[in-house]
Amino acid sequence: MEGETEIALFIYKYYKTTRGEFKDMLLSLTISAIVIGSVYGLIALGYSLIYSASGLMTFCQGEILMFGAFIGLTFFRYLEWPFLIALLLTMLIMFVLGMLIERLLIRPILSRHATDIYIVLATIALGIVITNVAQQIWGTHAVQFPAIFGVDTINILGTMVQPEAFVCIFVGAFAMLGIHLFMNKMKFGTSMRAAAMSPMAARSVGINVDLTTGITWGMSCALAGVAGILLGPVQGVSISMGSTIGTKAFAAAVIGGYGNMYGAIIGGLIIGFTETFSAAYITSDYKDFITYGLLALCMVFLPRGILKGDVYDR
Amino acid sequence: MLKIDRATIKFGGLTAVNEVSFEVEDGAIFGLIGPNGAGKTTLFNIISGVYAPNSGSVWLQDEEITGLQPYQICNKGIARTYQNINLFQTLSVLENVKIGCHDKIKSGLLANILHTKSQRTEEKAVYEKCMELLKFVGLEQKAELVAKNLSYGEQRRLEIARAIATEPKMLLLDEPAAGMNSKEKMDLTELIRKINKRGMTILLVEHDMKLVMNITHEISVLNFGVKIAQGTPEEIQQNPDVIEAYLGGGLIGE
Repeated sequence: MEGETEIALFIYKYYKTTRGEFKDMLLSLTISAIVIGSVYGLIALGYSLIYSASGLMTFCQGEILMFGAFIGLTFFRYLEWPFLIALLLTMLIMFVLGMLIERLLIRPILSRHATDIYIVLATIALGIVITNVAQQIWGTHAVQFPAIFGVDTINILGTMVQPEAFVCIFVGAFAMLGIHLFMNKMKFGTSMRAAAMSPMAARSVGINVDLTTGITWGMSCALAGVAGILLGPVQGVSISMGSTIGTKAFAAAVIGGYGNMYGAIIGGLIIGFTETFSAAYITSDYKDFITYGLLALCMVFLPRGILKGDVYDR
Repeated sequence: MLKIDRATIKFGGLTAVNEVSFEVEDGAIFGLIGPNGAGKTTLFNIISGVYAPNSGSVWLQDEEITGLQPYQICNKGIARTYQNINLFQTLSVLENVKIGCHDKIKSGLLANILHTKSQRTEEKAVYEKCMELLKFVGLEQKAELVAKNLSYGEQRRLEIARAIATEPKMLLLDEPAAGMNSKEKMDLTELIRKINKRGMTILLVEHDMKLVMNITHEISVLNFGVKIAQGTPEEIQQNPDVIEAYLGGGLIGE
């Protein structure tokens, strides 16, 4: 009799713990999926902004992200400035860098009537240059981004979560909302959309298309810089941190609909969830296989992406 | 209103426009004609800022506008239409005209998020102005259609409405009658007269001689980048150089 109770108790306890663990795991996986997904989304947003504003593709967003992460790290860790100031200053520097890229690299190539493929090659070359500059300045070692907050973890419904994860989600959501309002509620954003749709027509109604294009590059570099700072505390900072993220964010932009800004965010979250959950429930060895497999399937069956990017209309 | 002073532009070895000068009077309808490749559209591109001339200058009401960017020239008060229509294809007819008004809009971010009273008043004023312009060009029934679904003639009229929405002093029309049937051409002739009566000076490039001779006050003739004649339509029709240029080029049937 006593033995039977003992067994029942054991089963009950076992059942309870596994179920509890299951719930915990689901929640923490969801949070990390949203974190990495919003980072992908931010970078994909940069790809889409540039594409929709000028019909060009850039392949150095990952390197820009890495560079932004190092700049943020310099301000925050080495100079010990407050996090918010480090974040805003990094955004500003990356914005200026983006405008310079457009002014000094992209525009001169375009003014020689080069085809788009030369822009792609130029951005790849720029990515290599950025990587090597970063290596000269900060070295090849991976650096820990110090914790932003005093506490290590926060308890959410019994699950321990890094507070940096919430900064990531919050800043990601804020950036997306900000860009949405900028593009739809401000005159300059509307001009940018008009210039993207038809540069000639926009010029003839008095829109400074060179300026809108430059600002687009600035914005997408600032976004990549923000993504870099957000990813720093979660993954650490190293010169190779950007390469795979850049490619995955590109996949996110394609899945969401290349050139569509809301599609970029949705695509980012889809990649984030696919990657996190396949690593947790299938095997992390096949994580990238599944993620890029999804991209391949999407390109065959849904070539314009979920939100019908304008890549086919050009 | 507009003065072109010895404008010259070269593309490689080709001098597309060579020392061309003329002046457009306030309130005039001024025609620019010439055989294909004479440099008419290039001259338009110089005036509207698409190209900067190698030498020479362009003046709008005693203010030099040579070499300014297209958007700056638009803000100075010169609007244009294109030989190949340049609309915002996927926007509605009304939205196309609204973009033309964008430079005059004052509402900022906060006003637009909060839908303040001044923002709503402005929105309504812009709507009414655009509908008035669409009515003016005869497209008020099509306001909600997507621009690319309009017929060719309608797209041209929409481009004109969008240009007028920027409130220009001067309107440049680049072959507005190209591809139109005779009924559409008659409507267009009437429309150009109406625009002129609104107080806009018009510079017109057009191959349709009937239309040009019918509505212009003065005409300049270009051939191989050089101005060969200027005068009233009657004078131009009798000018031996002009007849030579058209007959010699075998383009009389244009």
